[in-house]
Amino acid sequence: MLIKLMNIQRLYRSDEIETTALQNINLHIEEKEFVAIMGPSGCGKSTLLNILGTIDRPTTGSYHFGQHELTEMNEATLAKFRREHLGYIFQSFNLIDELTIKENIELALTYRNIPKNERRKRVDHAMDRVGIGHRAHHYPSQLSGGQQQRAAIARAIVGKPRLILADEPTGNLDTENGAQVMDILQSLNDEGATIIMVTHSLSHADLARRRIDMLDGQIVVSVANAI
Amino acid sequence: MLTTIFRSVVRQGRRHPLYIGINVFGLALGIGVFLTLAMLVRFEYGYNSGLKDVDRLVRVDTKSTPPGNTPTESESTSFYAVPFLKEDFPEIEESVRFQEQDLQIQRNGEFASLHGGYVDPSFMTTFQPALMQGTQAALMRPDGLVLSQSAANRLFGTTNILGRSVTLNNDGEISQHVVTGVLRASSIPSFLSDIGILAPIRAEDEKTSPCYTRWASMCGSVYLKLRQPSDIAAVQARLRDFIIRRASGSDDNYKSLGPHPEKTYSFKLVPMRDARFYDAHITEPSRGLDQNVLNGIGAIGLLALFLACANVINFGTARSVLRAREVAIRKTLGATRKMLFLHFMGESLVITACSAILGFALSEILVQEIASLTGENIRIAYDFVLEILPLTILICGCASGIYPSLILSGYQPAHILASARMPSGGRKAAKLRNGLVIFQFSVSAVIIIIILVIHQQTLFLQRANQGYVTSGLLIGDMIPSHDIAIQRRIKETLRTVPGVQASTFGSLAPKPEERNMWEFDYISPHGTAQVNTLQDTVDNDYVSVYQPQLIAGRWFDLSRGQDQMPNWNKNPNTISNVVINATAVSRFGFIKFSDAIGKIIESNPNHFKARIIGVLDDMRFESPREPVRPRILFFNSLTVHPYFKPIPAVRFSGVPVMQMEQRLQQVWGRNFPNIYIEFQTPTARMEYYVHGDEQREHIFTLGACTAVIIAVLGLYGLASFAAARRVYEIGIRKTLGATAKQIMLLLLTEFLRPVIIACIIACPIAWVLMREWLSGFNERITLGPTPFIIALFSALLIATLTVLGQTLRLAYSEPARALKTE
Repeated sequence: MLIKLMNIQRLYRSDEIETTALQNINLHIEEKEFVAIMGPSGCGKSTLLNILGTIDRPTTGSYHFGQHELTEMNEATLAKFRREHLGYIFQSFNLIDELTIKENIELALTYRNIPKNERRKRVDHAMDRVGIGHRAHHYPSQLSGGQQQRAAIARAIVGKPRLILADEPTGNLDTENGAQVMDILQSLNDEGATIIMVTHSLSHADLARRRIDMLDGQIVVSVANAI
Repeated sequence: MLTTIFRSVVRQGRRHPLYIGINVFGLALGIGVFLTLAMLVRFEYGYNSGLKDVDRLVRVDTKSTPPGNTPTESESTSFYAVPFLKEDFPEIEESVRFQEQDLQIQRNGEFASLHGGYVDPSFMTTFQPALMQGTQAALMRPDGLVLSQSAANRLFGTTNILGRSVTLNNDGEISQHVVTGVLRASSIPSFLSDIGILAPIRAEDEKTSPCYTRWASMCGSVYLKLRQPSDIAAVQARLRDFIIRRASGSDDNYKSLGPHPEKTYSFKLVPMRDARFYDAHITEPSRGLDQNVLNGIGAIGLLALFLACANVINFGTARSVLRAREVAIRKTLGATRKMLFLHFMGESLVITACSAILGFALSEILVQEIASLTGENIRIAYDFVLEILPLTILICGCASGIYPSLILSGYQPAHILASARMPSGGRKAAKLRNGLVIFQFSVSAVIIIIILVIHQQTLFLQRANQGYVTSGLLIGDMIPSHDIAIQRRIKETLRTVPGVQASTFGSLAPKPEERNMWEFDYISPHGTAQVNTLQDTVDNDYVSVYQPQLIAGRWFDLSRGQDQMPNWNKNPNTISNVVINATAVSRFGFIKFSDAIGKIIESNPNHFKARIIGVLDDMRFESPREPVRPRILFFNSLTVHPYFKPIPAVRFSGVPVMQMEQRLQQVWGRNFPNIYIEFQTPTARMEYYVHGDEQREHIFTLGACTAVIIAVLGLYGLASFAAARRVYEIGIRKTLGATAKQIMLLLLTEFLRPVIIACIIACPIAWVLMREWLSGFNERITLGPTPFIIALFSALLIATLTVLGQTLRLAYSEPARALKTE
């Protein structure tokens, strides 16, 4: 088992208002799984993804990743964990405007102190993998949405992570580009990557091996798709 | 990592040229001004420090505390005391007498005036100045002469001039000299820097001149080189006994200082290392510099740097929200807070380093400006820059980068990525930004007020009633001739120059070169008032030329014999008629000016009698920082006696000043070719006293401009940032019906609020500072509201103009576009 969430709860407090974003989340995800999370806006999908991605902490509950218990880790250890094990894909791509596509992709490796030659090889490979090698020296603003998202996928996979987290990766794309991105994600899963994807698209969710439906901060349905 | 930081800065600059430009330019300006003023401060603090054995060198000052008069301290001391000092104090290794004055070199019928004077030959061995030509024995020859490097170049076009002959014209007395030494210019400032020419003291002067034969004469400075630095205190402790032993004598002994000299007379040893700042507080300082003023200038340099750093902090925190998403992405990709903190600190250091290079280039220009403003030989001290610049980069880079870096590296990625809108940056950061803007404008407003007050005071001094009519008046130098026939011819010649209405002689003039003090006593039924008066001798045309105001009694009259100053040595019982000034009236204890008329006063110790026939309003001939001295005027119509070194003056009309000066110089050159003289307006002569204040005004103006520019840059940058952030808000307001005017008012109020608060803070600070400064002047302006109001409106106007563009753009933007942008 790769991921084991137990009794996860996430509360937000601002002034005197307390909002429950997640409650009583228990979730197991196996290695090489492709899980789609669905649900209406505000149901807690992204919060769950953030907790899975360790960029947010649960208020209560435990989070095991392989042999690691993550809720007890400090910030620096979590950062190290992220750069070694996780890859992120966002709806709004979140590429850094000041860096070229190649530099954006390389960024994930620079924090891992990988030698320059090795970094270059991996970046070139990742770019070729998603088909944007010819745009290596362009800036994000010079690329179409689809190309930007493919660059973001390249950045997510360049570190060879055990888990890829995708937050509505096709949300800002047209149908054709959306389909291309989903093809890439599927092939990555076929090659052994574990993927958790938040989406509003039923058709894209159906491409995953398992679908989790959420409502009001809780998992209401968790079903395997017939593929 | 370094490459990444450099690349990041370069790309930030490309994408946000305004932000990086303002940061770099503001910081460069702050660093440039800081470096320049730091070099000025270092230069002044180094004064005299380059003199060999400076810790053993002292100047002997004379302190005078006459009863009923203001105590004075002069850097001049009786030369008569020097042989006794050497005899009585074995701690003295060397002594030097220095009769400092301008010496005239006559070449081909023309004069070249050089500052310097007559010195003992031991001057060279005591101070051991660096020589380009000659040896330390250069002044052992009675006809020897030492020139400075610049004087040699000016006179001969070269410094290779050993053995060349030079003609000196000392007050009409011609003497031939041979150049025996050339002083090398030093980059370390000292009193030697002002010296252009040195000649040995003349043997005949030592025998006959009162300067060398009387205790009461003070014609120049006396320097001592002691055997040990600790000897300074030891010698100082025994100087009172020395004065009692050596300077006392009977009233009849004209060489002595009377029976109890220690009551009114003392010596003070001033270490040469401290002389620069010490001299600012003595009477008639020639080279003094107020240490507080210098420290104030240094503080302006530091403030400029601090303001520039404040700008970077302001922008850094304001813009940090724009980089929040980048931080979130980097963190998501595994960057730790420490990594990001170091990255942003690195960016700050790179920006500071670039600014420092520009700032250094700027200081190259500013140092030249400061050198011409102050008249000092200040140059870029590269060794000092090499020491201070890396430190400045490190401190400024860290100081300005640490807070924004902490904020930036502390962002939580989940919040940033989840938020659809730009994060606000936090209330603390917003408060800090406002606080820094308030601080910047407070400093700017304080400096603006300081400049305005200094300017007002300087103008006031220039335009204040001096007690005589300054326009249409030209005053010459002291005439060396003691020949009554020549003096009459001079007066007549000057009177006949076209445009001249009247010419006169007096012993005193604005910025007098020499002063004779004479104590007079008034014995009344209530007691005796002892007044140390400044002696002046004038002729019957004095009133027409200077046009002073007679406030009681009458002026001298040629037809009245007793008005003429008698020869008291021959006729000691004659009563002379005198005119005194208003200050003397109050010092003698008369309640009304008219009370003084007809009263007899008596000189001390000679008991010569004088009758007061008139009272003049105070005429200001000396520093406006000092009170006007009591003055007594005697009458010399040039019928019987010559003047002792009279000062000519003319009243003219119908001719521009420059033209009149030229005419006088031409006529003078034709008629008296062997006497050097220069005619100046009273304002030009008095300039000596206000020159320092004008210099300070210029330096403060430099500081003020820097502060204002940096503050404006900061405000502009923040307004741009705020405008960018509030597009959406303004869009909603307009959609809800707000007019452009309402929006403008709202934005202007918000932008200007910190500026108004800054002015409110600045006013009391500036008021306290300026009240303290003005208290140093005997005649001063009343500290009114005008400079404060002007500063307030200037700050508001500058701030309004700064934010107006952004405000207008925002107020008149189309709401639909604004909402779409968001």
